[in-house]
Amino acid sequence: MSAIAVRDVSVQIGSSTLIRDISLEVDAGTWCTIVGPNGAGKTTLVETVAGLRRPSTGEVEMDGENLHSMNERSRALRVALVTQHPIIPVGMSVLDYVALSRTPYHGLLRAPNATDRQAVAQVMERLSLEEYADRDVITLSGGERQRAVLARALAQTTKVIVLDEPITGLDLRHQMTILELLQNEVRHHGLTVLATLHDLTLAGQFADRLVLLDKGRVVLDGPSGVVVRSKELSECYQMELRVIDVDGADVVVPARH
Amino acid sequence: MTTNPPTRRRVALVAIATVVALATAVVCGLVIGPTPIGTTRVIGSVLSYVGIGHSTLTSTQSAILWQLRAPRMVLGLLAGAMLAVAGGTYQGVFRNPLADPYLLGVAAGAGLGATVAIVDVGGGLSTPSWTPILAFAGAMVAVVVTWAIGGRGLRSSTATLILAGVAVASLLTSAQTFLQQQSSPDSIARVYIWLLGSLASANWSSVTLVLPYVAVCIAVCVAAGRALDVMSVGEDESRSLGVPVRRVRFVVIAASSLGTAAIVSAVGLIGFVGIIVPHIVRLLVGTSYRRILPISVIFGAAFLVFADTIARTVLAPSELPLGVVTAAIGAPVFVVILSLRRRIVS
Repeated sequence: MSAIAVRDVSVQIGSSTLIRDISLEVDAGTWCTIVGPNGAGKTTLVETVAGLRRPSTGEVEMDGENLHSMNERSRALRVALVTQHPIIPVGMSVLDYVALSRTPYHGLLRAPNATDRQAVAQVMERLSLEEYADRDVITLSGGERQRAVLARALAQTTKVIVLDEPITGLDLRHQMTILELLQNEVRHHGLTVLATLHDLTLAGQFADRLVLLDKGRVVLDGPSGVVVRSKELSECYQMELRVIDVDGADVVVPARH
Repeated sequence: MTTNPPTRRRVALVAIATVVALATAVVCGLVIGPTPIGTTRVIGSVLSYVGIGHSTLTSTQSAILWQLRAPRMVLGLLAGAMLAVAGGTYQGVFRNPLADPYLLGVAAGAGLGATVAIVDVGGGLSTPSWTPILAFAGAMVAVVVTWAIGGRGLRSSTATLILAGVAVASLLTSAQTFLQQQSSPDSIARVYIWLLGSLASANWSSVTLVLPYVAVCIAVCVAAGRALDVMSVGEDESRSLGVPVRRVRFVVIAASSLGTAAIVSAVGLIGFVGIIVPHIVRLLVGTSYRRILPISVIFGAAFLVFADTIARTVLAPSELPLGVVTAAIGAPVFVVILSLRRRIVS
């Protein structure tokens, strides 16, 4: 059974259709990245898979259960989300911020228990955040902050994590750090990742599979090496893209004339 | 506020200081007044009520203490606690530091209701008994209308609700002002006094009338602290953390508004407590609503009883409007704490 199954999903707002008849299955313990130009519907798709948007038609299943017939709490036990522009609260310690992840376990009226504290501590250790535990999360640098956001999503200990442009605004080193941390979770902890990325090189290098989206439809769905070399990719971006092999890794560059 | 979050020790110290302030306020509320009754005799009378020793008060002193000062002090505690916790809750749910308990039209609605009663529109409304009833009804109608306009729809935001509140409040205030203008000078004066808020008409029946509402509403608001902390990451993210955001928002707005309406119907419009107390508490204990809300309850109660003690003594036998005192004390205290914090930070 797929960890995520999107079946014939369309999302309409008023008279405009943001995504149309999308079907997509992601196996457990794999990484699938959605690529496509601005306005392709990537964010709408991940928000729908995260349960924030209700599909106008079609359904999203996680482990065989319909995501949109669950309440918020049950959904939060199955899928964690990293939004494109996370809102960082003022005056909250990094530890308290990461501990928000345990809300679906202990509820809104009870305090976190030992299991919750342990889950938070483990993730903070894996992401080397222990030294920042008492720091105000707003005082962290961009890279550290994104690591805290990722820690919050991972400490939710869901099987599936959905990330919308998780490396926006980070320098190269921090981009790699975030993606490598995620890859580690996929390889060693069986996490299933559905992400959107603008950087086609990094998208190709880190995902097992790429889904190319344009004008709200799936244009191409396949192994990363195939999608980055496809003519459809150049067509969607309306420009010539070339793939250079650098020590076995695909690097996607625009061709300038 | 970019320092590290406050330590547990500091939060504990603030909590203890607030409780001491509350105890002092209670004693001041009972002891201080135009008729001098010694502190020890007041304490003796209080203890005699719980079966320890005998009261040494004369019957007049006993009446002043138990029929005037005590209900007034208790109503002050309830009003201060409710307005402060409602303000804190509103600031959390709207993620807006300028939110106060009157944001969704409670004040304007209550003002119109009270004015209708005082001006006696249509005749037959015997003030003062109709004033609290119509003030309460006006306040609740205002909030319900605001919610109906701004709170529905799948993607309605808190901004829509705030704007709806502004519109409803403006409309009701214009109606209230019109009624007030059309009435006799005597009615205008009484409306004016009501609008400024006062605990002067407090008695045990007004206390028992508002107590159930206030107790339940304060409990709901305080219990919402953890939810409001999660909601500080925004609507989408808190939903992804399992929070039923709209349901939580509805419950806490309903509780804050109902409690505020009950208080306003009994004591009129007391300004400033709802906005300044949660801010002072936030500056002292940090931004977690699990700390802000319970401490605001105690701080607000103590603050309003202190303010009322000043209001009824400085110009005795006449009284200062309570809203004037709360602003006159609250604003400088707030500025001092703000500048102290800044100095610590830099």
